[in-house]
Amino acid sequence: MKLSVPMPLRLVLLVLGTTAFYMYLGQIVPQKESHPPPPVLINAEMTTEDLVTVGAELASGKGQCLVGCHTVGQSGPLRYPDLDGIGGRAATQVDGLSDLEYLAQSLYEPAVFIVPGFADGMQAINQPPINLSDDEIKAVIAWLQSLGGTPNVTLDTDLGY
Amino acid sequence: MTRNRILFGIGVLAFVSVIVTVRLGGFLVDNEYRQPDRQVAAQEELGEAELVPRQQGIADEQAADEAEARARPYEEAEYRTVPFVGSRVTVWVLAQLHLLFAAFVLAVPLFAFIIEFVGYVKKEERYNKLAYEFTKLLSVSFSMTATFGAFLTFALIILYPKFTNYLMHIFSPTFLPYVLLFFLEALFLYSYYYGWGKFGPRMHLFLGFMLNIVGTAIMFIANAWLTFMMSPGKRDDIDGDGVPDFVSAVSESGALLSLRDAFFNFTWMPINIHRIIANVAFGGSIAAAYAAFRYLQAKSDEERAHFDWMGYVGNFVAIIAFLPLPFAGYYLAAEIYAFSQTLGIQMMGGTFSWLFVLQAALIGNLFLGANYYLWLGMGRMEGGVHFQKFIKWLLIAIALCFAVWATPRYAISSVSEIAAMGGSSHPQLSYLGQMSAKNTAVNILILSTYMSFLLYRRTGRQSIHPHRQLLTRAQAIVFSSAAALVIFYGVYGYFVDSATRIRFAIPQVYSVLAALVVITVIDLPLYRNAAQSGETKWGRIPAVSQYALIFIALSFTWLMGLMGYVRSGLRQEWHVYGVILDTSPDAYTPSLGFATQVVSVTVLIFFGLIGVVFWLSSLSGKKDYAPGAAAEDGGRLEGGQAA
Repeated sequence: MKLSVPMPLRLVLLVLGTTAFYMYLGQIVPQKESHPPPPVLINAEMTTEDLVTVGAELASGKGQCLVGCHTVGQSGPLRYPDLDGIGGRAATQVDGLSDLEYLAQSLYEPAVFIVPGFADGMQAINQPPINLSDDEIKAVIAWLQSLGGTPNVTLDTDLGY
Repeated sequence: MTRNRILFGIGVLAFVSVIVTVRLGGFLVDNEYRQPDRQVAAQEELGEAELVPRQQGIADEQAADEAEARARPYEEAEYRTVPFVGSRVTVWVLAQLHLLFAAFVLAVPLFAFIIEFVGYVKKEERYNKLAYEFTKLLSVSFSMTATFGAFLTFALIILYPKFTNYLMHIFSPTFLPYVLLFFLEALFLYSYYYGWGKFGPRMHLFLGFMLNIVGTAIMFIANAWLTFMMSPGKRDDIDGDGVPDFVSAVSESGALLSLRDAFFNFTWMPINIHRIIANVAFGGSIAAAYAAFRYLQAKSDEERAHFDWMGYVGNFVAIIAFLPLPFAGYYLAAEIYAFSQTLGIQMMGGTFSWLFVLQAALIGNLFLGANYYLWLGMGRMEGGVHFQKFIKWLLIAIALCFAVWATPRYAISSVSEIAAMGGSSHPQLSYLGQMSAKNTAVNILILSTYMSFLLYRRTGRQSIHPHRQLLTRAQAIVFSSAAALVIFYGVYGYFVDSATRIRFAIPQVYSVLAALVVITVIDLPLYRNAAQSGETKWGRIPAVSQYALIFIALSFTWLMGLMGYVRSGLRQEWHVYGVILDTSPDAYTPSLGFATQVVSVTVLIFFGLIGVVFWLSSLSGKKDYAPGAAAEDGGRLEGGQAA
């Protein structure tokens, strides 16, 4: 005996089945909730070592340096320069700029010097939407200096910006 | 009559039930247990207005509440919540439903007007009837759009009062023009619909033209509000160094600096273009679904032929608009990147990267469904067997492209699988997950679908053009060159840096667009007045083709819901990106799994409502109620196609 499904029921099954299929696809891919970065507190007593720790948190959080833009220790086709060893080579990137001045310029005015082989695209991180404060930027610089160099920035350092 | 009696009886029963319930409640309250010494009668004997404990308790509570209300200073709420569902999901679903109906209401007049215009130029009444059939769907859909628009506005005011107030502060000068345009939209829409056959053709076409102009203007204004939230400013080279600078339309505290920059913000025009094209594709697919619904209900061959043709035209509109849609999407994505690298990277390489695998599955299904429908449609024509041998090759090409597009760069793997692969990406297949492969796949998909359409167009026809061989070869060369160029850039992309690789998408897109235009331009004279090897038998198509049309409409709707999530979710914890932070409990981006659940619920609600629209629209073709005829068949309203 041939079973005949009424047309309205077929339509309902088609709508439910298709929707359920697409929803199922949505359940089997990796699930991730993206929360706002937690606030990072900087106080006047922080040492350079403390700033390195805070800077690392900012780089992967509020600063968004490592969220799809820069990498640390990767090779091959990259979107933006890999940061491994930046602390050691920062002083030789631009003639006349110390490592501190170069790193500060890269963060406050990233379009001024573009590393050869890469395109312009980074936004000033003291402006929205990243909007790091001057102290937070010093912490990021301390962390960058720690990648192959010797951190020396403190909260009293004048970055010239 | 029996049915009417039953309905009347149910009504009386419901009324009596309400009266009995109210009376019973009153009786129970009046006869609650009271301690004998606290009886009212006892109070009266005592001559004092002493309250029983329950009354005293209620009075004390009321007094305490009032005292608290008086002591509490007025505070403007920043957010309010909705139990169980949450504020964000409430606004999300309402906004999506409003947008789906609005897209439909904006799209249908566009192609109804074009079809009517074609009928006017060709002097063929059947086009006029078809355009009218499409327009029938507008009246109820317009009401649905307005209802959900009002519902959304109230939800925003109630649930996000502070932020809504901010948007009003920025865009209040645009509200009055918006409302006036909405009035004009209603005026033109109803005069276009109800004036069918009542005005001269030119006047009626003018009404349709104005309806489209006003509708588009309304969308452009609403787009300014939502794109401002994503890109509150523009980019302009203000210092003359050749590098575009960000010019914010608002100050850091959110104060308005330039309404012009807020309105004509960076992503406004890309969204406008993307939405116009997407609306037409979506509207065409929903109209085709309506035709499929009517085809499946049809009782006569004449009805089947009419709705088969309508479904074909609706699907044709949807697919023709869908072909350039990936290019419009690419333009929009490129502009988002240009506005903010952070936003762009979040979209394609960060939080939302897996969403594009889902998008690939949806678009792949759309292409498969559209091609399947075209292939089934070849059976309408006598002499259609000739081209059917090509179908399997097209199917192979489409399936391969679909597989490439849906291949993620990083696989979902167990620990042992990761160990076996030497990482989270497959050593060979991960190459297919890169942008070069995906751009190539989507461009070949578009070319293959266009080829299906060309084959369909030629089925049962023989060109009589004197240079037909030369022109056909020219088409083949253009097609092959475009495909070769797309594949060349796709492969070459693996050997260059990322910045160059991204730019390769542009020649790929242009070569495909150029091929579509050139082949079409050649095809029009080539098959003009072509010899017919047989008649087109509208209505002669398997019923499964109609389910394919409904599947396409479902996939389009789901795709719109999904892309709505990414467009809005891109802002992450910002109401207005970089300016106004979302500090509500919902200030996080939900997982893709959760988002797909919300999208699914929205799609189901939309299809439930659009089913009502279809049903109401189909009533206009029914016979008028006649008491005599109703009595003959037991009072049941009998449907049937109007003469």
